[in-house]
Amino acid sequence: MLDIHSLTKRYGGEAALDGLSLSVAEGAYLSLLGPSGSGKSTLLRLIAGYETPDEGQVTLDGRNLTTVPAHERGIGFVSQGFALFPHLSVFENVAFGLRYHARAPLRDGAEVRRRVMETLEMVGLTDYAQRQIQQLSGGQKQRVALARTLVVRPRLCLLDEPLGALDANLRQRMTLELRRIHAALGITFFHVTGNEMEALAMGDRVVVLDAGRILQADAPDIVYNKPKSIAVARFLNRYNLFSGRTDGRGGIAAAAGLIAGPSTADQRQASDFVDFCIRIDKIRVQTEAEAIGPSQAALPATYITSEFSGAIITHLFRLADDRVAEVEDHLSHRRPAEYAAGQRYRLVWPRDEGLVFPVSAAVVEAAIRRAA
Amino acid sequence: MSTTVQDRAVQTARKAGSPRSLARQQAAGQWMLLAPGVIWMVLCLVLPMLMMIYVSFWTQTTFSINSTLTLDNWVAFFSTPTYLDSLLTTVELWFVTLALIFVIGYPVAVFIGLFVRDKTVQTSLLVLCVVPFWTSFLIRVLAWRPMLGTDGAVNIILLKLGLIRQPIEALLFTQYSVVIGMVQIYVVFMVGPVAFMVSRIDRSLIEAARDLGASTARIFLTIILPLSLPGIVVGSIFVSVMVLGEFATPSALSGDKVNLLGNIIVTQVGSLKWAFASVCGVILTVLMAVTVVALLRIVNLRREI
Amino acid sequence: MERQPVLRGLLTGWTGLFLVFLYSPMVVLAILSFQSGPEGGPQFPIEHWSIYWYRQLFNLVPASSVAPLPLGSALIRSLTLALTTMVVSTVLGTITAQAFRRHFRGSGVVFYLVVLGMMVPGVLVGLGMALTANYIGLDRNWCSTVFLVHVVYTYPFAFLVMLAIFNRFDRSVEEAAWSLGVSPITTFRRITFPLIFPGVLSSMLFAFTLSYDEFPRTLFASGGDLTLPLAIYGTFSVEIHPNLFAFGVLTTLFSFALLAVYATLMTLSVRRARRVAVQEEIA
Repeated sequence: MLDIHSLTKRYGGEAALDGLSLSVAEGAYLSLLGPSGSGKSTLLRLIAGYETPDEGQVTLDGRNLTTVPAHERGIGFVSQGFALFPHLSVFENVAFGLRYHARAPLRDGAEVRRRVMETLEMVGLTDYAQRQIQQLSGGQKQRVALARTLVVRPRLCLLDEPLGALDANLRQRMTLELRRIHAALGITFFHVTGNEMEALAMGDRVVVLDAGRILQADAPDIVYNKPKSIAVARFLNRYNLFSGRTDGRGGIAAAAGLIAGPSTADQRQASDFVDFCIRIDKIRVQTEAEAIGPSQAALPATYITSEFSGAIITHLFRLADDRVAEVEDHLSHRRPAEYAAGQRYRLVWPRDEGLVFPVSAAVVEAAIRRAA
Repeated sequence: MSTTVQDRAVQTARKAGSPRSLARQQAAGQWMLLAPGVIWMVLCLVLPMLMMIYVSFWTQTTFSINSTLTLDNWVAFFSTPTYLDSLLTTVELWFVTLALIFVIGYPVAVFIGLFVRDKTVQTSLLVLCVVPFWTSFLIRVLAWRPMLGTDGAVNIILLKLGLIRQPIEALLFTQYSVVIGMVQIYVVFMVGPVAFMVSRIDRSLIEAARDLGASTARIFLTIILPLSLPGIVVGSIFVSVMVLGEFATPSALSGDKVNLLGNIIVTQVGSLKWAFASVCGVILTVLMAVTVVALLRIVNLRREI
Repeated sequence: MERQPVLRGLLTGWTGLFLVFLYSPMVVLAILSFQSGPEGGPQFPIEHWSIYWYRQLFNLVPASSVAPLPLGSALIRSLTLALTTMVVSTVLGTITAQAFRRHFRGSGVVFYLVVLGMMVPGVLVGLGMALTANYIGLDRNWCSTVFLVHVVYTYPFAFLVMLAIFNRFDRSVEEAAWSLGVSPITTFRRITFPLIFPGVLSSMLFAFTLSYDEFPRTLFASGGDLTLPLAIYGTFSVEIHPNLFAFGVLTTLFSFALLAVYATLMTLSVRRARRVAVQEEIA
């Protein structure tokens, strides 16, 4: 229902969005993931109509929105700072869109009241209707902002880092809340975040954005298990990354050592530049004495320390090229292992679990030029 | 996207359909907001000023005036010692007043802006400085007469305190009285802007400088003075505008002994010598323009707002 | 800085002296207003204390050689002028500042054109207006030419105040209102305006004060009917009497009353506007 065609927006010569195209189906929950500066807020603002694109267009239900002003688009927007009206109460904030809608203002006081209370109930703030905005906590403000946007039944609801201002506990609760509301109302949600876990948890589809371009747009599990590029793998924060050259025999010569590549990778010429990554929870740690099978890849490493976070423990190892690799262990699956600091071990994983990405010649040249 | 005017403009732009024409229509809406103010200023300020320049070149006889262009009035001004004197006095008193206002008002502004922590006390002090303003300017000027005369308040107090033996004559009906009057009336224009700028200085800057071992003098010279500069510039512009155009204070406090350019303009207009008055007006304008341009070079005012 | 006791003490003393300097004429004025009349003059010593001159202002004393101040109609004119100037210049200042919220080419020129109004000495504006009025055959009048120059003078102040307010205004609340389907005008009326109202109030107070006591511009641009400052100036060269001082005291008291009204309005509107969208209070 929402189609974005080759959207470009430049700020003083720099392209915040570069020929971006995307389609969003009705009733979907789309997560937009990207680091700061990737253009995700710009994209939201262009869809909402707060700014105009330099090129390209946004179409909603087949209607070209380029010349439609923001207040006629029927697109809801929950901003990062919530932007609640400070001089109005909670009730008045939520009722605002109903009462003063440009096309169809709701004059009937009783009807306004009914819909406002209904929406407040949906977000769990029934008793807060008469409060002033300044008296609310962060989570409550968030819910008021949501209620205010949803009560006018927008076709599409844009959320700009909605969980950013909340503490971890509240964030988890709100994640569930948002999913519940989405299921109940069937409105299309477009959720922007810089937090990869949040993006994966929320959407039925995750769009990864960087430097104004889409890197990947897939279901969360695909993005998580099969990142399309090394950049996506980097954002996910769950992979150990390497770069090196193929040796023509299915191996990759990286600074950390020789990595046995996946057998499914096509036979590449020797000396092709490639990027390689392996998920941190696919790695096992073995002593140097233990054998390595033909279907396994291995790298030597020295143990540094471990980070403990509840059911997960992350072990840190120093590789031959002096970088640090992470190995994640889920304690519910295995007994916690003990390693000796400074001791040499081997990081082992099934060869086929590794991911190889070719590196374009242009990137290589740029890297060489930079190093020179 | 800011008003109904722009809104309507945007709707007409729908026919065009491209983002560029939308942007153009939005700009048109902006200019519609700007038009009333701009037209007002052009018609009621720029035009009169141009008129003044134009008239300064008109031919003026004792009883009539016509629009034949001539340099006579200008020559007359610069060749008459009285008028040149007056120009000199104007500039002199302007500088002296400005300097005194800075010396007297700056410490007060720093005190209010920097040393007073409580916002309410700060505001109250500033209001206290502004309150005298609400008594008519003219009455306030007049009030200096019974203050400065030979049997005025100042002399009475000084005599009673035994600080002087005879009343000071020079206090009233001299250049000094004019300066005192102008300083008192216009000093607020310096205190206000400077106090405002100083209060915006981040205290942690000063604390950091202290921690690094800077002396008070150094902190003042490198932090407070530069950051208060926009306030000093604004204050100086305000004061200069007021002082250069002054004629009431000299008239009231010097018994017409001190003749500033403003006084000349008033007397010339009184005898309908418009052309000559315009010459003085243009000279004042030039003085003011040079000052403002010079001061605005020091500080970019738009950024400070 | 605050921890420097010597410096602090010196500055406090200086400020104290400064306030004495600032207020001394007012004190003298107030004392002399209680001069005996009608023979008492506007100088020391006080023959004996009386409220003669206050009563004389309101024509409550028998006629004497001292003419009563011709203030009645002049006062009304000044008030009317000040009120209309206040409204017009605040409106102009607000719409101009609103236009400045989005960058446009030539904004520097417009900015300085507006600000020019407060950078030109009053005599010159008045002179120029008088010349222009004569040239085009327009009669000089307190409600035409004087009004025009008053606005020229107060509009830049209103503009700067509103510009400062808008610079600190967080526009995300406006965007939020748009996203709810509320038109930009309604948004301005119900969201923006209530939040910028303290600034509008300050701007109006500024404009009123400037116009009410405006003198040099008015002197040249007015016709026969006088505003208050002009009427006072008229008594200048003629003899001054303590009734003028009595008038000064009364106007000051009136100003205090206005200040109280303003402070109350300000506190009420600030409580409404909260300090979320507008981050600075301009008193």
